[in-house]
Amino acid sequence: MKIRTIALNTFGSFLRNKVILLFCSVFACIVLLTLTPLLAFKGMTTAANAQQMEGMVLNEIAAVMSMVSGFGSLLAAWAAADSVAGEMKSGTILAVMARPLRRWEFLAGKYLGVMMLMVVYVVVMFAVTMLLAWLGGQQFHNSLWTLLVYPMVRYAMWAAIAMFLVTLVHPVVAMGMVVILATLVLIFGSPWRHIPNWIRLPVHLILPLTNLVSEERFLSVTRASLKPFPWASHLTILAYGVDYALVWFLLAAYVFQRRGLTRD
Amino acid sequence: MATPTASIPAIEFSGVTKVYQRGFAAPSVPALSGISFQVARGEVCAFLGPNGAGKTTSMSILMGFIYADQGQARVFGYAPGDVRAKGRIGFLPENFAFYKYLTAEKLLQFHLRLSGRQVTDPAALINELLIKVKLDGYVGLKIGKYSRGMVQRLGIAQALLGNPDLLVLDEPTSGLDPAGRKEVRDLILAMKAEGKTIFLSSHLLSEVEKICDRVIIIDRGNMVRAGGLQDMLAESNRVEIVVDQLPEAVEQALKEQGATIEREANRVRISVDVAQKRSVAEALWAGGSDVISLTPMKSSLEEMFLKLVGGAE
Repeated sequence: MKIRTIALNTFGSFLRNKVILLFCSVFACIVLLTLTPLLAFKGMTTAANAQQMEGMVLNEIAAVMSMVSGFGSLLAAWAAADSVAGEMKSGTILAVMARPLRRWEFLAGKYLGVMMLMVVYVVVMFAVTMLLAWLGGQQFHNSLWTLLVYPMVRYAMWAAIAMFLVTLVHPVVAMGMVVILATLVLIFGSPWRHIPNWIRLPVHLILPLTNLVSEERFLSVTRASLKPFPWASHLTILAYGVDYALVWFLLAAYVFQRRGLTRD
Repeated sequence: MATPTASIPAIEFSGVTKVYQRGFAAPSVPALSGISFQVARGEVCAFLGPNGAGKTTSMSILMGFIYADQGQARVFGYAPGDVRAKGRIGFLPENFAFYKYLTAEKLLQFHLRLSGRQVTDPAALINELLIKVKLDGYVGLKIGKYSRGMVQRLGIAQALLGNPDLLVLDEPTSGLDPAGRKEVRDLILAMKAEGKTIFLSSHLLSEVEKICDRVIIIDRGNMVRAGGLQDMLAESNRVEIVVDQLPEAVEQALKEQGATIEREANRVRISVDVAQKRSVAEALWAGGSDVISLTPMKSSLEEMFLKLVGGAE
């Protein structure tokens, strides 16, 4: 009940948050900007160049959705960091924590609030994917749930990492560290052969391997298909993501329990 | 754990020490040095000290926001921060902060849900509290549009929301006009009449003098004084002797002994050092004056405070 109260209040505050509104505006602009060339390509399609035009359309959709999905990771991390740091900075946390509320309950409420925001983001992202694919003349037929569940798990991981970092350091520093982590994920997650195994393996144990929990692994927008994947693999990968998020959330709760709650 | 009995004080600090470490290179700042005191149930206790004395640090430890480096604090026998203790506390932080996008009703609903208090009609309770703090005429107005005084009243309403046994108020009259201060004072007295324990910090010593039973004074993290307010104020080293008339010759002699004399229409007030009271009284009788009263003089809380903290504020 108390966790839900904190979560709903956090979600409500996001809906009035200027940075979130900016994110949404950027998101909407990207979609609108995408539509222009997309519709132009569609308009230029003739019987002679149909295959070539369709390929261009689908390539564009794939690029845009990849960017929007990446934005989501940043949004999740920022929202998690801001939800805790904002309360500390404004001092609203004092009246809240004076209530019979445990610190981990407060943090769990904040985390759930972030995840509620990300559910909205993922649903909108899913709808936009479907819309763009339809405009590109394609339709997905199976495993659509992966387009909802995988991004959610990935965002849960980034939110937990950011929440942990913001219990230790200033939110700006926390976001900087998130960006560095995301860059490292890109570097170490790539199939570059020249990174020696003695570096790659230990780093893999620490880094959030969000590329594993990426719907792009089996989503081929250019063929509008979702590669078939065994359920056991789905479960293993999703369990990895959830476990990773849980570990970082528990670390955040541990640090938050020990730190002083004062106006920053 | 067994439920604490009624004999356990509402608040207990035993040798509480807190040192702030500001970064790696900066020197540490001692905020509290072995503070010990108790606040009994049903008492109205003022926690006084100049700025930087350690009042807010003490209150933060009491609420479980920060931890003591040494010593122990207890609230109703529980560790600070324990939900069983927090469930019995109504807290008003200094410069109460709020969610600006909410209305007073929404904010109180939010805090009521967090308080865990079960009420049959939450809207009626919230309305009653808003009437109590005179905010009932602002339905639908976002808190961000409130004046400083209105925010403070709302803070008091949220502190009362959980029907607490202990009210911890950090500067409750901050930002309020004289009428508002009187309303808060009346509210505190009403809570006292209900048997609530009230622990408050304030810089308005005249207000404190009107409502408190006990006073704890700290300065630079050290306990300066603690005790009953009336006992403290009575600890003056002067007495006042009121006589019906005072001959000129006696007046001159008394002035030479350091007495201060104030003539009124049909009586004369003479203030002398307590060590001289017998000799002065005898001189007055011998001089033909009739002594109407002889009473120890009380100092004001402000005078006493300034004396104890060296006029730091």
